Amino acid sequence: MKKQIDYVKLFAEKLREDNKYFAQQKLLIDSQIIASRTLLHNAFSPDFKKSARDYLRKRGILNKLD
Amino acid sequence: MDKGFKLDKGTIVLNRKMTELDLFVKDFLSIIEKHSKYLIVSGFVSIASGRTRGTEDVDMLLPIMGKTSFSNLFKELISGGFWCLQGDTSDEVYSYIKDFHNIRFARANEVFPNMEVIPIDKMRKTKWFEFEHPQRMRVETFEFDVPQLEFEILYKESILKGEKDLADAKHLRTFFKAILKEEKFKEFKPIIELESR
Repeated sequence: MKKQIDYVKLFAEKLREDNKYFAQQKLLIDSQIIASRTLLHNAFSPDFKKSARDYLRKRGILNKLD
Repeated sequence: MDKGFKLDKGTIVLNRKMTELDLFVKDFLSIIEKHSKYLIVSGFVSIASGRTRGTEDVDMLLPIMGKTSFSNLFKELISGGFWCLQGDTSDEVYSYIKDFHNIRFARANEVFPNMEVIPIDKMRKTKWFEFEHPQRMRVETFEFDVPQLEFEILYKESILKGEKDLADAKHLRTFFKAILKEEKFKEFKPIIELESR
């Protein structure tokens, strides 16, 4: 049974020889960013910065200095 | 059928169209470049080279700078359409930078993706070496500096070692197989090992 790392290697080999495989990568990256942009903008309105900072602190992404 | 990349006078040219992630990094770097040298490291290097995975942040090494220089950079980033997740004033955010705490910037009214700015100086020997030996990459009209590929691969394999990092390293080893140099792996290994001590 193939592991995920084998698929990473297989995809990199295909991509190396044929740049058409970049198209599906672009689709994934663009859709992730566009979806997150809309979702979080709605979720954090109306006080975007405060809500965003609260969310990031809860996730441990943002730490306050002592 | 075109190959995934080619070399053009030492610059790695990726044969693909820009993504939303590239556009975000390009806009951010267009401001950074007026104020300082930088180095894009970690996940974005693999993703820019075709690794198919999502990311929430892009890591960037930035040499530590004085308060006034940082204030000028900060003001231009804010007027250029970015916000800092740590704070809204240069003074507030500089307290992070001066103590070598990372800071993050996103586009106004957005959270992801964000740029994670990692302050460095010459005392951080491994990161400083990486910073001083950049590799240029290009996607369409977007040019940027990343670490030497052999350095990036070894760093992911020897220091970071997470599942995602090992997969990134495998991608880079496979995709760039034709241009990787064994002597560079040997040269960089002891430098990278400094960081694990």
